[in-house]
Amino acid sequence: MVVDLGYGDAGKGTVVDWLCANRPVHTVVRFNGGAQAAHNVVRPDGRHHTFAQFGAGTFHPGVRTHLSRYVVVDPLALAAEADHLAAVGVPDAFDRLTVDGAALLATPYHRAANQARETARGADRHGSCGQGVGETVAYGLAHPDEAPRVADCRSPEVLRRRLTALRDRLTAELGPLDAPPVADCLPACLAFAERVAIVDGSWLAGALRAGPCVFEGAQGVLLDEWHGFHPYTTWSTTTFANAEALLAEAGLNGSAIRIGVLRTVTTRHGPGPLVTEDPSLPLADPHNPTNPWQGRFRFGHFDAVAHAYALAVAGGVDGLALTHLDLADRGLDLRICRRYDTLDRLVPGPAGDLDRQAALTARLLRARPRYDDVAATDWPEAVGAALGAPVLLTSHGPTSADKTVRKEGHLINAWCIGRAPS
Amino acid sequence: MGSGMWSTDVYTAADRYRRATGKSAFSYSDSGAKVVHPQLDPRDATRESRDSAEHPQSTPVAVLFDVTGSMGHVPRTLQAKLPQLLGLLLRQGYARDPQIMFGAIGDATCDRVPLQVGQFESDNRMDDDLGRIVLEGGGGGQMMESYEMALYFMARRTVTDSWEKRGRRGYLFIIGDELAYPAVKAAEVARLIGGDPREDVPVRQIVDEVTRRWDTYYLLPAGSHYSGNRKVLDFWRGLLGQNALELDDLDAVCETIALTVGLGEQAIDLDTGLRDLDRTGSTATRTVSKALARLNGARRAEVAELPASRTTGGGVVRL
Repeated sequence: MVVDLGYGDAGKGTVVDWLCANRPVHTVVRFNGGAQAAHNVVRPDGRHHTFAQFGAGTFHPGVRTHLSRYVVVDPLALAAEADHLAAVGVPDAFDRLTVDGAALLATPYHRAANQARETARGADRHGSCGQGVGETVAYGLAHPDEAPRVADCRSPEVLRRRLTALRDRLTAELGPLDAPPVADCLPACLAFAERVAIVDGSWLAGALRAGPCVFEGAQGVLLDEWHGFHPYTTWSTTTFANAEALLAEAGLNGSAIRIGVLRTVTTRHGPGPLVTEDPSLPLADPHNPTNPWQGRFRFGHFDAVAHAYALAVAGGVDGLALTHLDLADRGLDLRICRRYDTLDRLVPGPAGDLDRQAALTARLLRARPRYDDVAATDWPEAVGAALGAPVLLTSHGPTSADKTVRKEGHLINAWCIGRAPS
Repeated sequence: MGSGMWSTDVYTAADRYRRATGKSAFSYSDSGAKVVHPQLDPRDATRESRDSAEHPQSTPVAVLFDVTGSMGHVPRTLQAKLPQLLGLLLRQGYARDPQIMFGAIGDATCDRVPLQVGQFESDNRMDDDLGRIVLEGGGGGQMMESYEMALYFMARRTVTDSWEKRGRRGYLFIIGDELAYPAVKAAEVARLIGGDPREDVPVRQIVDEVTRRWDTYYLLPAGSHYSGNRKVLDFWRGLLGQNALELDDLDAVCETIALTVGLGEQAIDLDTGLRDLDRTGSTATRTVSKALARLNGARRAEVAELPASRTTGGGVVRL
């Protein structure tokens, strides 16, 4: 199980790709978020793909992707993504995909509503990606029996009714939406159901027994819907919780290794607290250009306070994967922040107390970082010590060939023993 | 995280799902097809490599391979390695806006499908063309295939912006292991390609013609039927000089093509190219290094003379 202990973008994709490169992984399971994920994988031969809905192990022949019921599925973006995968030498991505019929469907109406709201917020944006994932989740909570779901794509009449109701409700609330008519959305959704294997909740148990699986988280724990810094959060549970629930249903709870991914620099794409932000860091991220919905990609020093909070929220990890060590090797003055001027430690509160989280956000926006006097020399050691968890895997570059398993990495190496398909 | 990377256009999505039918590569041939696929039929056809807003400096690369008995597995090798070829050309910056065309060569005197030619494509549609190629088996058994027919098509039935606008030759690779027939027969051209050729064209003349606009290479795989036979290599060396290359390992064909283009475009020297290959984890370095050793350093002219302009301006008249 791989989650990001920051604000996203730490390198989950590259870690999942590495796991699939080195062991016989059967399926990569997505358990939160939707098409707004952007997990970049660069192959040693130079091929690059930004994984949004397909699992980041898809470059490896035979590795499957399962989108569980916790994922918001966007059939339109999925088609475009499969097209690009075909262009970089993966022609059979659809043949290796299964989707849980209970998953919510993201539609052009959700997207248009999301963009209308975010535009209306103006300077007070939440950092949404403009993909309509949050909108989809909100509508699903408000109208659980009428929200369009993946399985509806097999029944044209049901889908037509649900899309129409969705469009009418959102139009009543927000005015005319910039989205195509229902009649134009139907063929794409029906073609999706024709091409992709739609399964029920019991499918995953079979996959888990067929061979090793990797649970690929999206976004980051610090953006979690209940524990993130409200309101700069995502409509999704970004901890291990959903993955643990899926394992429990298959009778395998607690059997997976929990890996937290971190960068040597703490980053954030979009507005919200980033206590250690340092605009003077001469860094840029090739995969995260400025976009109209999230704005600039922001860099800060390693924020051990925030990451320790994420670790506590997630309920601990078996080990860490530390990426972007090549930055530390570049002679930049990268520091570790172990406490803020007004706070030594952040303590997780009860899930769902958003007033508390909003108050925490206000304090963080005022807090100033305190840094170690000298730059760390042995990053894996320093990070492991600061967070009280061993660094199992380090990454020094964009491809799976740039990964190093540390001596504590026996956990990962032992991971397949007893799980290989017989 | 969070980019909205992939297009969510409702109109193209339906098409994309319908196109992604999950057929095997070479599904056309594997389904028992014995006639040329209409999309690859050279009859009355021309093939164009054009610039576009997206690809302003197209570099045409044509890859034509023998698909008769001894060489039947070449296209499958190519298909498996194709992404790597594209990856090298595009991502290592070996060529501006490469457009690749695939074609297949048989024997005009006895095969059912002696010439198949795809379109110049800059994306995965070239894969579709590969999938439509009929794999012959067969062949004439007299150490000859109709390579001259393929050269004739390339010389007289292709149009490239690269040449028309910039005076730059494209790249043509013929992969095979036999001799060409001594002349392009007018009757065969009329039957296969159409037009109205009045007379046979000797192979040397068609080579002269094709090399004016195409940097032409012949790749002879070792281990193929006749490759140990000096006669074949000598024949192609006689026509193409050092551009007749011997390949120890057919699996290295894509890497050889990519590096040859990179050398021709002066994007790399051989050492850089071989280092790139090593970095991609390719096992072909030895083979490629051996095959291309003769080419390194002897580079083609950057710009050939521009095509003769068709307007008769106030030129000097010599008596």
